[in-house]
Amino acid sequence: MKKIVTSLVVALLFFAMATTAQVRIITGSVKDEQGTVVPNVSVQVKGSNTTVLGNEKGVFKISAADNAVLVISAIGFNSLELKAGKLSALNVTLSKKVNELENVVVTAQGIRKKSKEIGYSYAKVSNEEISVGRAPQLTQALAGKVSGLAIYTVNNSVDPAVKVILRGYRSLTGNNEALIVIDGMQTTATTLALINPADVESVSILKGGQAATLYGSAGINGALVITTKMGAKGKLKVSYSNATNFEQISFLPEFQSKYGSGSQYYPYVFGDAGYDPSSANRMKENWRSYENQQYGDAYDGSMRIAGRTLSDGSKLVIPYSHVENIRRKSFDIGVSTNNQVSFQGGDETSTYYMSFENQKINGIVPGDKSDRTGVRVKSSKEYGNLSTSFNASYTQAAYNRTGADFYNDIINTASWVDLTTMRDWRTNKFANPNGYYNDYYNNPYFNKDINRLNYKDANIQGNFDITYKATPWLSIYNKLGMMNNSRTGKNSVEKFTYSDWAKNSATIPAPWNRYDDYPGIYRAISDVVGGVSDYSTTENVLNNEFQLRMQKDLGMFENKLTLGYSVYQRYTKSISVSSSSIVVPDVYNVSNRQGNLGGGEANTTERRFGYYGDLSTNLKNMDYLNLNITARYDATSKFFKPTRSASQYKYLYYGAALSFIATDAFPVLKSKYLNYAKLRASYNKNGNDNIPLYGLDLSYSNGANFPYGNQVGLSVGNTLPDANLKPEFVTSYEVGGEFSLFNNRVNLDVSWYKQNSIGQVLTVKIPNTTGFSNLLINVGQVDNWGYEADLKVQLLRAKKLKWDVNFKYSYNDNKVVALYPGITQFAYGGYSYATSNVILDGRFPVLKTNGYYYATDGSGMRRVNSTTGYPVQNTALTERGSTLPRHMLGMGSSVTYGDFRLSFNFEYRGGNVMFSDLGRQMTFTGSGKWTENRNDQIFANSYYIDASGKDVPNTTVKVREPEYALWVNNYRLISENFVCPAWFIKLRDLNLSYSLPNNLVKKTKVFSAANVALYGRNLFTIVDKANMFTDPEFSYTAGNGSGINNTGQTPPVRQYGFNVNFTF
Amino acid sequence: MKLKYLYIGVIMFLVGSGCKKEFLNVNTNPNALPTATPAYVIANALNTTAANMVSPNETGMYWSGHWSQSNGYIISTTLFQYQFTNGDFNYWDNTYDNLYDYKFVIENAAAYNQKYLKGPAKVMMAYNFQKLVDLYGNIPFSDALKGVGSLAPKFDDQKAVYEGLITLLDSAILDLKSNAFEGTYASSDIIFKGSASNWVKFANSLKMRILMHQSRISGRDAYITGEINKIVAEGSGFITGADVGANPGYVASAGQINPVYNTWGYNENGARSATNNFPRITDFTVKALLATNDTFRLKRFVYAPGNENPAVPGVSLNPEIAANYVGVPFGSSAGYPVPATCAIGPCLLIKGVFNKPLIIMTAAEVQFCLAEAKQRYPTVGLTGTAQSYYEEGVKQSYRVLGADVTKVPALLTSGLQDADFVASTNKLNAIAYQKWLAVSYFTGLEAWTEYRKNNYPATPQSKNVVGTSRPLRLFYPGTELGSNGANVNAQGTIDPLATRLFWDVD
Repeated sequence: MKKIVTSLVVALLFFAMATTAQVRIITGSVKDEQGTVVPNVSVQVKGSNTTVLGNEKGVFKISAADNAVLVISAIGFNSLELKAGKLSALNVTLSKKVNELENVVVTAQGIRKKSKEIGYSYAKVSNEEISVGRAPQLTQALAGKVSGLAIYTVNNSVDPAVKVILRGYRSLTGNNEALIVIDGMQTTATTLALINPADVESVSILKGGQAATLYGSAGINGALVITTKMGAKGKLKVSYSNATNFEQISFLPEFQSKYGSGSQYYPYVFGDAGYDPSSANRMKENWRSYENQQYGDAYDGSMRIAGRTLSDGSKLVIPYSHVENIRRKSFDIGVSTNNQVSFQGGDETSTYYMSFENQKINGIVPGDKSDRTGVRVKSSKEYGNLSTSFNASYTQAAYNRTGADFYNDIINTASWVDLTTMRDWRTNKFANPNGYYNDYYNNPYFNKDINRLNYKDANIQGNFDITYKATPWLSIYNKLGMMNNSRTGKNSVEKFTYSDWAKNSATIPAPWNRYDDYPGIYRAISDVVGGVSDYSTTENVLNNEFQLRMQKDLGMFENKLTLGYSVYQRYTKSISVSSSSIVVPDVYNVSNRQGNLGGGEANTTERRFGYYGDLSTNLKNMDYLNLNITARYDATSKFFKPTRSASQYKYLYYGAALSFIATDAFPVLKSKYLNYAKLRASYNKNGNDNIPLYGLDLSYSNGANFPYGNQVGLSVGNTLPDANLKPEFVTSYEVGGEFSLFNNRVNLDVSWYKQNSIGQVLTVKIPNTTGFSNLLINVGQVDNWGYEADLKVQLLRAKKLKWDVNFKYSYNDNKVVALYPGITQFAYGGYSYATSNVILDGRFPVLKTNGYYYATDGSGMRRVNSTTGYPVQNTALTERGSTLPRHMLGMGSSVTYGDFRLSFNFEYRGGNVMFSDLGRQMTFTGSGKWTENRNDQIFANSYYIDASGKDVPNTTVKVREPEYALWVNNYRLISENFVCPAWFIKLRDLNLSYSLPNNLVKKTKVFSAANVALYGRNLFTIVDKANMFTDPEFSYTAGNGSGINNTGQTPPVRQYGFNVNFTF
Repeated sequence: MKLKYLYIGVIMFLVGSGCKKEFLNVNTNPNALPTATPAYVIANALNTTAANMVSPNETGMYWSGHWSQSNGYIISTTLFQYQFTNGDFNYWDNTYDNLYDYKFVIENAAAYNQKYLKGPAKVMMAYNFQKLVDLYGNIPFSDALKGVGSLAPKFDDQKAVYEGLITLLDSAILDLKSNAFEGTYASSDIIFKGSASNWVKFANSLKMRILMHQSRISGRDAYITGEINKIVAEGSGFITGADVGANPGYVASAGQINPVYNTWGYNENGARSATNNFPRITDFTVKALLATNDTFRLKRFVYAPGNENPAVPGVSLNPEIAANYVGVPFGSSAGYPVPATCAIGPCLLIKGVFNKPLIIMTAAEVQFCLAEAKQRYPTVGLTGTAQSYYEEGVKQSYRVLGADVTKVPALLTSGLQDADFVASTNKLNAIAYQKWLAVSYFTGLEAWTEYRKNNYPATPQSKNVVGTSRPLRLFYPGTELGSNGANVNAQGTIDPLATRLFWDVD
């Protein structure tokens, strides 16, 4: 009925106008000052009721008389008045409003909202901000740019391991990482490593629960919504960009430079007749030509043999003195290049974008490299009310890395051996395993060369969108997203058989021989039999979103309603085959083996479907007060069994958000100091199917090493599932405000949030005496809360000079409120002497290590043994603090002067601690600077307990063997020595760019724009004085048990390079 | 307008109705089995029990004074300075995990018509609990292995556990006698291949082990003699002439060879394991053997310095003359490099012999248990004499080591202390010493238990330790403390160097 009426009215209006003036159809195309399309403009014939809306491509059509004045407005832009004139096609350029808060933003599930309608914290990072440091991966480019977002590069290599955390941890044992959405499709973090950062138009960060409710369970930890670039109407634009990048170790642990190879060889035990009281003399006895440990006598420059005599009689006799910077020189300077070309263009009804990228990286570990090649195509076409678009990308990446612990091999090499001469072990006889000096650790270059991890990733991903505008107020929309991600890999170990000479005959000649010499190189006892493991994994994701998008006024209310239906399916398969030997050298196929074929397979399928609705509403004439209600009803396969009741696998959750524009409601508030003020609040409850796949079943699997031939052996699983498992719920509260001050030159966004996660599906460690090691159960409560503030200031706006600064601060804390009854803590893992833990009533994860005993008087004196003088280890693991940073501060600034632009971003994180196993290893090898004091000494700041049980400050009891046992057998074992505050300040990125002036560029007649830039990433890192080890961001695991690092992570690096961009 | 909403409703319904319950029915684990039969579970359980012994036996070899380490490694501060924590030596978790598999067998045997597996499962439960008591003292026993039924199992007094094990073995023997093995599933029994009578003998032997551990507790005689007489009355006897060992059918493939051979000897391709460099015979043991002219066993225990001849497996590269054998003073951190000292010998490691059963109890041990029983309680109904059991024990020790059994009489009549039973002035010491030797290498944990119980032979303190304290037990593992804290703490403060087990009277 209504449709007819509406048409009648339009027809009548048409008729009315036709009678008064010459009316024509005018087509307009709207762009901003940069030439980017301005979608959804509103065009009104001034003084009339005629208003039309432009489409998403910035095109509008309106009927107007010649003399009519068109008022063209768009959110975020200054409105423009134009005479219609006689032209039938208009090209309109709108200028951006300085206040950017009026932007239309893309929220969850692609729903567009005006900023003022959003009742929760939301951030957006543009391509410009991403590309500042030319980071090889998108995630690293986001570090420090958004409050509440923490990017952890837990391991740096040519294939860095990164994790993305929004607003801290809320799940104790489940996933805490943010959801990654690319062009509306829910994907997995694996794709983040593969996407070309230059293809990204913007990244929206939906921090809280409300923002992500519509993504269902997957969005519980917030979401990174990535929008890729889209072509714009206009002539073909071709861009070429090249970046060349260098990577260098930014800092290394502190190494000692005084002592060379040696270990505890001194033949007398303290108290024996003949025991030499001089530590210097004992050190001389401890020197060995072939030692990996560095507890020999002090460097004196004398010529000494390294290792043993080779089979041809040759000897490596070199000065016994420290080679400056040898550890640093053992690594390479990494070089990488990135080349890319993009094409974009479009016409009235279609757009297209196409890009190619190639990136080659050579890492700091010699021989480690990666290569990524990708293409992306995105295109759209409109046919009247129907618009379609697709977006597809295909990326191949190849990685070739070492599987050896190169770093550990380096620190097991004494600093008088010049490793730079040892790189070519195939031809250099002193570098070859048959002649290499070190009896215990092989040549690092040999180890890294024979242990290789080779793998290839291929990712194909596509989205297919259809929008049908059924009526002016209703669009039907469907998006089908599909992804296939595969990895094929081969890990291989080269075969090496030692010569008989190396095994049995290599000796040490006088004068370097010692009383306990024996012929043969110790490590030659075990030949390297080689091995190969071949594997492939594939992952298929299908995600369909069907939506009805409605915009309609009902009575007093202006409403926008989206109803959606979502289907998600993920399937994975992995297969591996392996052989633990190689028969014919250099042929890495599992058929080239002795013994049985090893291997296995793993398959998973998970499915979800859900209905959701999102309603934004406000009273007419009161559009300063907006209410947003969301709800979703999900069903998940992860909790499904035919025998279970629907309430165990279907779940409803919902939320509401309110935003209030105070300056619109009460215009008196507006002044030149306060331009805009918005207050917002939200509440919501989110459901989550955070359970390990197939977690409902107790499983029975093959016992270790079974089957032996035909002999089958099975074992009862160790994780006992509770029968009543159901999805968990997280309740979030958030309040915040956005303010523009001083003529919109200062923008402030503040929020406070709290999340209560109740009834988590927790893998609880239960005592093994129950027969099981873990229980999977809904239990416990975790609170997670924090504050965030983003401040953006336009410091200076002169004719040629623009200077902006911004600060992003976030504070996050959490508390384990409840655990399973009777269980007060459990460990995630780590080492027997250092673990990260969940402890009731505390913040998690918490680091615990063994340590010292301290004097009861609070003086901080450390207990030593009253006889030996060695520090006494308190074997109990004691809490050392939280490993998750509490405070994060980002500070960025950009200065534009004419065609020059300088920008940089700093990040600080702190309030946490870390444990470095690297420190322990370096104490073992004697390479750490802290082991340098090897003279007779009383253990600093110590006390002992005397015969009467009293604490006595130690001024008399010297340690017995400061040249060795103090460090290796005592100090090393006290893990507290390697715990330190984990705060850091990093210069995340720095970029100086110069755009060639337009008139100059135009003269070339080839280019339309050109730009050169110098950039750097992590150029410097400042850490705590006590942190003598490594980058506090590193962790041995990307899981929840963070804060423990080891030699598995190579040293932190800085990167710098230059970049040229041309647009044709 | 109403129609429009109807349309919307219809569209949503149509789209939404695509997903029914069936769509979600993909939650059956495709990677693991949903259930298992007891016959398959017990095969793995038996193999796991044996494999779980490798590490505690190693520790036992050090702390009983048989082994030290070569100086190719830095000194192990946990083993030779006794600086260990509740994160070290966790023999607890894997044992309880293994125990639950036996529980599964016992509980499901009837349902699968495999009742004959109940008896062996109970015997093995007793074997594992006995190990746990000897390592940790009080342990969860009656309240253990109940899953959600008891999530914080209470600890039982160690003496009560020991008594409970005797009862458990009684019940095992009843089961074994009333349920004959079914031939098809005999292969699941990777220890006795379905011989119920051997299982009963093993049960009796295990009872003797448990009873004789308690022999030095005052006031315990009546209980012990009563139980021994019950064993005699039962009448099946003990394992004799052969040892109890598990063999799942080792094959020359990664992870599928005898784990002792793999850990200390060679891998499946014949490449020597790097850990072959670590354990070394102590100079105490070398001297003790030389003192009784017992070079036959010395040559089986270890290879002469220079190790095994790769061309002649089982034989030392260098001449096997007594003067060549060099032991490491216990806990020495310097002066004893790898090639200059004696590595584990042909009793455990012969290159290429990767498929011997993994022994979990030797026949010799039983004989020495009987010898001690008869020596201490002459009235018990055992038919032999202390001397006859003792001498048979030495013979069985020679046999299992692969030494020449014909040389035994010379040792037994040598007139030397602790070798010749008749000539030995302290018979119990002679039994203790010979048992300490006989159980070594195969069941090192028993060697440590014997040492803790008898304090004989008087092996020297570690050169890396100040003072006289030695490890007497282990800490409760951190994993148990973290999840069952109240019950662990109820056991009081544990000092592994001072807190004695109930059978360790001095």
